[in-house]
Amino acid sequence: MTAVTIVDYGLANIRSVVNAVEYLGVEVALAATPQAIDAATRIVLPGVGSFDAGMRGLRERGLIEPLARRVLGERVPFLGVCLGMQFLMESSEEGVEPGLGWIKGHVRRFPSGKNFPKVPHIGWNDVKLPRPSRMFAGMEGGDFYFVHSFYVAMEDEAASCASALCDYGGTFVAALERDNIMACQFHPEKSQMAGAKLVQNFVTGAGA
Amino acid sequence: MIKHRLIANLLVHQGNVVQTRHFKRTNMVGSAFTAVDFFNTWTVDEIGVLEISHDRTHLEKFVGIIEELSRRCFVPLSVGGKIADMSLVHRYIRAGADKVMVNSAAVETPSLIEEIASAYGTQCVVVSIDGQADAAMPSGYRVMIDNGRRATELDAVAWARQAAERGAGELLVNSLTHDGDKRGYDIALVRAISAAVDLPVIAMGGVGKWQDLVDGIAQGGADAVAAGNIFHYTEHSTKKAKEFLIESGLPVRPTTFYKLQTSRRVRYKPF
Repeated sequence: MTAVTIVDYGLANIRSVVNAVEYLGVEVALAATPQAIDAATRIVLPGVGSFDAGMRGLRERGLIEPLARRVLGERVPFLGVCLGMQFLMESSEEGVEPGLGWIKGHVRRFPSGKNFPKVPHIGWNDVKLPRPSRMFAGMEGGDFYFVHSFYVAMEDEAASCASALCDYGGTFVAALERDNIMACQFHPEKSQMAGAKLVQNFVTGAGA
Repeated sequence: MIKHRLIANLLVHQGNVVQTRHFKRTNMVGSAFTAVDFFNTWTVDEIGVLEISHDRTHLEKFVGIIEELSRRCFVPLSVGGKIADMSLVHRYIRAGADKVMVNSAAVETPSLIEEIASAYGTQCVVVSIDGQADAAMPSGYRVMIDNGRRATELDAVAWARQAAERGAGELLVNSLTHDGDKRGYDIALVRAISAAVDLPVIAMGGVGKWQDLVDGIAQGGADAVAAGNIFHYTEHSTKKAKEFLIESGLPVRPTTFYKLQTSRRVRYKPF
């Protein structure tokens, strides 16, 4: 089966993502250099940490240009996870660094206060599927594991690309899909069988 | 909506999973790997693993077990036991823990809670509180440490509030007298703490029947319910527990099954 290249840009604990892909019998390569991105046939961009630190980590390693060229230009199958989904947007209220801007849209902070649920949004929450998508092939929504304080807002292109929606004091984009790009706010690597199914849909889907 | 969680807690003593009663070890259950594979299959929402040996001589083996467990655990994994300072916190996280549980060390050095929260985020810090009924304390419960062997001067509810202020992400509430007794959680203790803090509270200790899980949430006000002993000897136990919670009308994550192509190449080191 095709190998999966997981982008290692220095801050995320990527072990659990590696474990989940390996569990499905797929070889994993880690990519911390532009050359490794050039060699990739499927790319996963994981992410835990802050938006600015993550974007700087990508830039300092010279990964932004090769990622854009491979994913946008050559349409290499791509999966962004958690912060790796937020990077796809133009900006985030968490930081000052611009995002990759591959998808028109913005990352916003969950409001806090008496009338809103607790932040961060942590735990198992159910998603609704607004349209059919390859990432959720064979699934009808279900519960996934979330840990985050910022979210991709239902606006601009992010709204039209949304493949899953979640409600937490309001509706936000839980997952999106456009052409060869898939991304999810939840952690498939911590979402048991539903998460494994989604990762499998990514690694077995048609692509480069 | 956010679901109530069912958590399976494994107690590891000198490398083996054991059962306890009143914080004293009773039976050896077997391999942690068998237990985790089993819980993974049967829809438990989170797994907790605690090192409870009396000294640190088995710590290396335990960290090795955590590394191996994280390879096959596809739900959040909490790890605790023997944490005295940040060094073991870093090791547990590097070994694959998503959260760490601290108990005695947090009482002795409360700033440890802040240190963990600032290094890894509040969602990473579970402060575990072992309470014992004591009429001399304002809430009626005293905090016990060192696996229940040592009494502190802390009131359980006051300590819960302090832990929350210092940056705990969750509180795990256990009871010395209910642990392993199969008579249900110490509901009064769970309720007192969950009413006092704005954090998720996990009830632990004493589950003898599935209704006890429901009571922990419905009466105790817990966000999540944990058990250890009861899961070991009942066939399909976590699945049955989940079904019972669903039938009780509580919002929990139902079992979903998907056909997965897992590889035969996935081989685990023998334990």
